[in-house]
Amino acid sequence: KSKRSRANDHEEEEGRTEMSESGTQLFARLEARRCLKDVEPRLFADDGGPDRGEVVEVYGPEGTGKTELLYHLLCRCVLPEAAGGLEVDVVFVDTDYSLDMFRLASVLDSRLNAGGSAGSDDAVLRLCLSRLLVVRCSSSSQLLLTLHFLETTLSSRPRAALLLIDSISAFYWSDRSEGGASVAKQEEKLSRCSELLGRLLRDYRITIFATCHPIRRGSNGPPSSSEADRSHLCRAWQRLVTHRLVCSRQEAQHNPANGDEGSGEQRNWQVFTVHCSSWTGTKGSRVSSFRVTDGGVEDGSESGSSDVWFYQ
Amino acid sequence: MKLSSGMCPGLDENLLRSLRAADIRTVEDLVSSDIEDLAQKCSVSYKALFAIRRVLLAQNTAFPVSGADLYEELLSSTAILSTGNPSLDKLLDSGLYTGEITELTGGPGSGKSQVCFGVAVHIAYQLKQSVIYIDTTGGLTANRLLQMLQTETNNTDEQMEALQRIHTFRLFDVGALLDCLYGLGGGGLHKVCVGGGSVKALIVDSVSAVIAPLLGGKQNEGMSLMIQVAAALKTMAKDFSVAVLVTNHVTRSSSGEVQPGLGVSWSHVPRTRILLERVESGASGRRSATLIKSSRQACLIKEDFDLQWWSRAEGERGGETSGKRKLDETDT
Repeated sequence: KSKRSRANDHEEEEGRTEMSESGTQLFARLEARRCLKDVEPRLFADDGGPDRGEVVEVYGPEGTGKTELLYHLLCRCVLPEAAGGLEVDVVFVDTDYSLDMFRLASVLDSRLNAGGSAGSDDAVLRLCLSRLLVVRCSSSSQLLLTLHFLETTLSSRPRAALLLIDSISAFYWSDRSEGGASVAKQEEKLSRCSELLGRLLRDYRITIFATCHPIRRGSNGPPSSSEADRSHLCRAWQRLVTHRLVCSRQEAQHNPANGDEGSGEQRNWQVFTVHCSSWTGTKGSRVSSFRVTDGGVEDGSESGSSDVWFYQ
Repeated sequence: MKLSSGMCPGLDENLLRSLRAADIRTVEDLVSSDIEDLAQKCSVSYKALFAIRRVLLAQNTAFPVSGADLYEELLSSTAILSTGNPSLDKLLDSGLYTGEITELTGGPGSGKSQVCFGVAVHIAYQLKQSVIYIDTTGGLTANRLLQMLQTETNNTDEQMEALQRIHTFRLFDVGALLDCLYGLGGGGLHKVCVGGGSVKALIVDSVSAVIAPLLGGKQNEGMSLMIQVAAALKTMAKDFSVAVLVTNHVTRSSSGEVQPGLGVSWSHVPRTRILLERVESGASGRRSATLIKSSRQACLIKEDFDLQWWSRAEGERGGETSGKRKLDETDT
């Protein structure tokens, strides 16, 4: 083909796909993505799970189980329905290089095995992992540009219902130092990211879970002491958040009388508590607790039941 | 990121000037703005501007990878490096994992540097891989390394070979540390791999010595530099499949218990943390190591070990396995 006709073709194609939404794009945008209200009912107040277009912030210092909680939610989303999952696609934005694929694969593996479905073979594991899309960002500018790019990804994947961001506070200090003395400049990049996220939420009706690390050592006291737990991120982000899970850690003695491997030694279980506050729909709060074992997050209530959480 | 001419085809000086007039100076501004609007303001064709936006986005964005592909890649590129000391290996779930940052924390005299020397010697001699050792305290001497090597083998050629695999850098401030890390990341690693064996470990002893003086007070500089060091270390670990080992000091928390230094913002950086302490009773070389953060094992398991392990005389080495212990799969 001659150069001119190729150029014409290219222009025509651009005109078709960019000047107006193509049919597939429109369909992908309007078709309802799966609602994640039931992704983990034990965390949220009755029927208060995150609806489409809502944002859950998972806040807590290091070692309080936030990452394990994310893996738990991730597994719940990508597993096949036979193993208790929702079969939706998940986009994971990793800003501090903390995604541990081996841990994730081992939790998926144990859930698949426990699910009783024909064991877990490699193929099923890879199918689940292929529902996950991982993006790594190293600065808030790159985060902003990547979110713009993700818009095309979301429109080409109508099954994507969950966006996980770990963590949204990773660039806090670099933004602060780049912004110099003006607070507005310091918060500018995160504000822009938040506005863009807001638009993605409205247009594509996804749900967002984001972890946030605190910047100073707060006391591990009652969750109502909001002084230490107040969010330090910009207003634009705080306005988006509709549910807040504050994680903390306390130790509990595991009762050896439960015939635990007959080892006779007391095992200190780390019990993590999550305090959930919601600002939409059913306004309320709830406190729940969990333990982390090889198979992932498990119920940590004193009654000693060891059911894996999301068995429906 | 500032827009400049030549960044992508079609972005020439004229267009740059009209964009600047419309208050568009950076790539982010261009990508976030309404292209139709902008095209009218700058009297450029919509298609041209859109094409430029697309190229800039493709150049600067991070590309999504499928979880399955990422997992495959990690399976084939991750290795576990034994530290040479079975008690430590037990705590670390077989050893130092490449692609991750492991932290050794402890008070003065708790043996952090000795452990680092031992690990470096073990990896250079037994596993025959290159090690980069960044010393910020001045505690590293070639004599000490040679001493440890002499207990492994009497053959001076082998000793020299192993010593050559340990590449040392001596720096004392954070700027030099960042320069060194960026230099290594930008191609320096290949230059360092002379004499066989790719770089599999990076040891920084100690990272708190250069960062702790910058923290505190009202300046944000210190925190930002610390985060930059963290990002550089993580990038090295992940992109080059290297096991990073760093050491940190300890402080006392408000309730009096010992905790690792550098604060809350650093605590997310290492994947695994081990606290070293002197053992009250017992021989002078005894230390206890407690696992305080791990994504693979239950926390707070404790192991006692002997600092002299890496310098045991030849005869004491019983059934120690030698040679490469490279695991291709990381089944726990």
